[in-house]
Amino acid sequence: MRDFFKWVTKMKIKFKLNGVVTEVEVEPHETLLNVLRDKLKVKSVKYGCGVGECGSCTVLLNGKPVTSCLVLAAKVDGYEVVTPDYIAQTHVGKIIIDAMLEEGAIQCGYCTPGFLTTIYAAITKGIRNIEDVKRALIGNICRCTGYINVLKAVKKILSETK
Amino acid sequence: MVFEFIGKSLPRHDGFAKASGLIEFTFDIEIPGMLYGRILKSPYAFARVGRIDSSLAEAMGAVVLTPEDVPNVLFNPRLVSIEEDTFKDWRILTKSPRYVGEPIAAVAAASEDLAQRALEALRVEFEEVYEPLLDPFKAMSPSARPIHDRVQRGRQWIEVRNNVAAELKYSEGDLETEEKKSSVIVERKFHASRRYHAQLEPKGAVCKLEADGSLIVWTTTQTIHNTKILISQVYGIPMNKIEVKKIPIGGGFGSSIHTNLVTLIAVGLCLKSRKPVKLVLTREEDMVHDHTSYEFYMKVRAGATREGIITFGELENIVDIGAHQIQAYPLLGASLGWFVSLYKWKALRYHGKAVYTNKVPSCAIRGYGAPEITWAVETVIDEIAEELRIDPLDFRLINYRGKGEIFWGQGPTVRSIIRSDGVPELTSKCSELIGWKNRGNPKEKTGRYRRGIGVGRGFHTSGAGGPLSGAVIDYTGAIIKVNEDGTIDYITALQDHGGGTLDAHAKIIAEELKIPPSKIRIVWSSSSTTVYDVCTHASRGVFAGGEAARRAASEVKKKILEYAARILDAVSPEALRVQYDKELNDAVIFVEGAPEKRISLSEVARVAWQRNWGSISASVSYRATVAPPSFTVYFVEVEVDTETGIIKPVRVVAGADIGTVISPELAAGQIHGGFAIGWSWAVGDEVVYLEDGVPAHRLSLSDYKLPTIMDLPDDESFKVVFASTYEPYGPFGAKGLGEAASNPVIAAVANAIYNAIGIRFYEIPITPEKVLKALKGGD
Repeated sequence: MRDFFKWVTKMKIKFKLNGVVTEVEVEPHETLLNVLRDKLKVKSVKYGCGVGECGSCTVLLNGKPVTSCLVLAAKVDGYEVVTPDYIAQTHVGKIIIDAMLEEGAIQCGYCTPGFLTTIYAAITKGIRNIEDVKRALIGNICRCTGYINVLKAVKKILSETK
Repeated sequence: MVFEFIGKSLPRHDGFAKASGLIEFTFDIEIPGMLYGRILKSPYAFARVGRIDSSLAEAMGAVVLTPEDVPNVLFNPRLVSIEEDTFKDWRILTKSPRYVGEPIAAVAAASEDLAQRALEALRVEFEEVYEPLLDPFKAMSPSARPIHDRVQRGRQWIEVRNNVAAELKYSEGDLETEEKKSSVIVERKFHASRRYHAQLEPKGAVCKLEADGSLIVWTTTQTIHNTKILISQVYGIPMNKIEVKKIPIGGGFGSSIHTNLVTLIAVGLCLKSRKPVKLVLTREEDMVHDHTSYEFYMKVRAGATREGIITFGELENIVDIGAHQIQAYPLLGASLGWFVSLYKWKALRYHGKAVYTNKVPSCAIRGYGAPEITWAVETVIDEIAEELRIDPLDFRLINYRGKGEIFWGQGPTVRSIIRSDGVPELTSKCSELIGWKNRGNPKEKTGRYRRGIGVGRGFHTSGAGGPLSGAVIDYTGAIIKVNEDGTIDYITALQDHGGGTLDAHAKIIAEELKIPPSKIRIVWSSSSTTVYDVCTHASRGVFAGGEAARRAASEVKKKILEYAARILDAVSPEALRVQYDKELNDAVIFVEGAPEKRISLSEVARVAWQRNWGSISASVSYRATVAPPSFTVYFVEVEVDTETGIIKPVRVVAGADIGTVISPELAAGQIHGGFAIGWSWAVGDEVVYLEDGVPAHRLSLSDYKLPTIMDLPDDESFKVVFASTYEPYGPFGAKGLGEAASNPVIAAVANAIYNAIGIRFYEIPITPEKVLKALKGGD
């Protein structure tokens, strides 16, 4: 029996995970999502679809929100990766979460870390327009909220981070 | 009534844990040494399996589970009907797959990669592959191959004839006489598609065996106790040896209303390997192989007199349930209940049939038939009103079932009297806000973009309780424990899907005890540490679970007052009053008229501990004797692009009668989300099956076209109106909400489309293609 996985070469990658230099051995086919969750035990990055459609696994790659299920782990060698659990502890992250809590923007919570990450990226990039934040959130699917309280929270965040 | 905490805006208790992603869902659970499971699923919609060769997989070090390795018993994954009314036609693993994706075998191995390779190394012989029956009407023909020869109803074997899984007929009053009295009769056929729940967390389970042989289970479920009971029934394990942990669920919408097959398979792998096992579905498996809604073929016939009084109603309800029963028979009863309870039919006739097809088994989706029935009835009601030239709102107000009327709720065995009713108030307020009077006539609307306003009125029950025991199991429980510093542990089996149910409970307890909700911890409990709760379904969480919490708090309060009376030297607990003290951020107990005689709750708790008086706690089991309707009256404005057929929501005014509003933002959130899911049912959601029984068209969430933030109304175009009602049976006057929030949406959207372009659609989803086709046909 041909055993593909026996002859593939593992590689060691080095990247900054939430500000800390991290080294990990990965296989060529492994996604950033799997390496974060299974090898580095970062469970704040949620699996929702595995094909880049729902946004639950959003992380920041050099400051840019990406769905980590579509990024090969080998590619992040030398990059900076930031995950929702880290964002939650930052000043801006706390403002975002407080606004989401006040507006009732969190329901089942499975998609919420993805929303937090995308909103954080938008705010820290200096996006000030609600329509632009909306466009940024087009890749984050939520089945619970109808997005309305999320929008209310975003408006509050925009007014509080001026 | 003036409340201290109820109705106040407070952040939900699990908000930070959820937003940061630190809270653990089933998908996040890891046990040292655990194996990863994978399921071998049938590629055929209707087949018979011969030999399963697992030698290669086993040689790789995988544990293999085949139909021979699991108990040979039939079961129903949903345990909510009494046993005599439970239809059993499922097996854990099958040699007779009846839908594409039906589990045949499973493997578990030390890594996901190895498990996948072992799965691919399994060799399955298919002895026969039959042509699948995908159309329920073809399935019912006498010449069609039986999908099941016989199934069990309770402990009795019953023959299945013409692939009809269950049937329910009902009639009331003299239909022929009422028909003669009618000056208008409208008859229409409706078809509601199969829809996917699209909960964000796919299904999964993790289990392990404790050293004493007990089985611990974490799983995506809306009911930990029924999961425990089913595992016990199927595997023959005593219930005290099974502990199902309560863990957050990434969305339910009915998809985990029953015990998921993954859970039973994971248990099987765990028992065989004697190792912890994690078995989670990929999105594709969840979407293609695991669950969908029911598919409805309805015929509604109804009449009214010239004066606008409804005479009779008839509903024929053919439901395509897929290959197995989860709650087909109760659905026929609930559909009848929704129909009966919508309007005051003087005579009615109902015929419901649940039909097997070779598709993924259907389970409840938010509303359990009410959105579909409401859409059909509300369309016919609009059409009758139009023919009678009566304002559709007036027609509804004259004829709807409101205060003082008998209400059926979840079916013939669950009846009670309506005691709170906000329909007139909501109709008047919301119609004004949307501008109902200026909605115009579709015949006068021209141009590429045409707008229309529609109304849908509906309801959902608050639970499935009732004065008689009936065929439905519905009770719940609560445990409250006052710690030695006066903080509270609240222990309940009831699951919160995200609506904020348990935050509402915390406010109810806080209100009863006059302590801040921040002093109450909602404990992540398990089936072993809680008393029975049937399930978070039927929008019962706040109404039934909240009342259980209130009763437990009330018992605890009695003990607190007893102890306080001892400490304060009051003649009796009746001499005491309790109020919330903002400065202390605690409840204070005092003697009326003697301000120096006061003590905080935390001091009472401390003294009771120090003086060996015992713990202050209560355990309550509670069955609601009514299931009151939460009414919703929705007005929707849509815009139809007559060149592309695309329909967009313009404005929504959503009125909800939920009695006392406990958490305004979270309740509004339920209404927003209820609209969103209803909108996608109305214009987008559909699982399409190809001839071979593979739902190949829509394998991914983006192909399925779930609404994004750009597709739904924004906050400024969405107005929520709460009625000022008080439900005497609810905790502090509250009723349910979750499903009422989505039940009238399809109806309102379809009626709005009619008001925009003058065309009625009798099939959902109302896609751009259908709109264009209808517009062309109309020209």
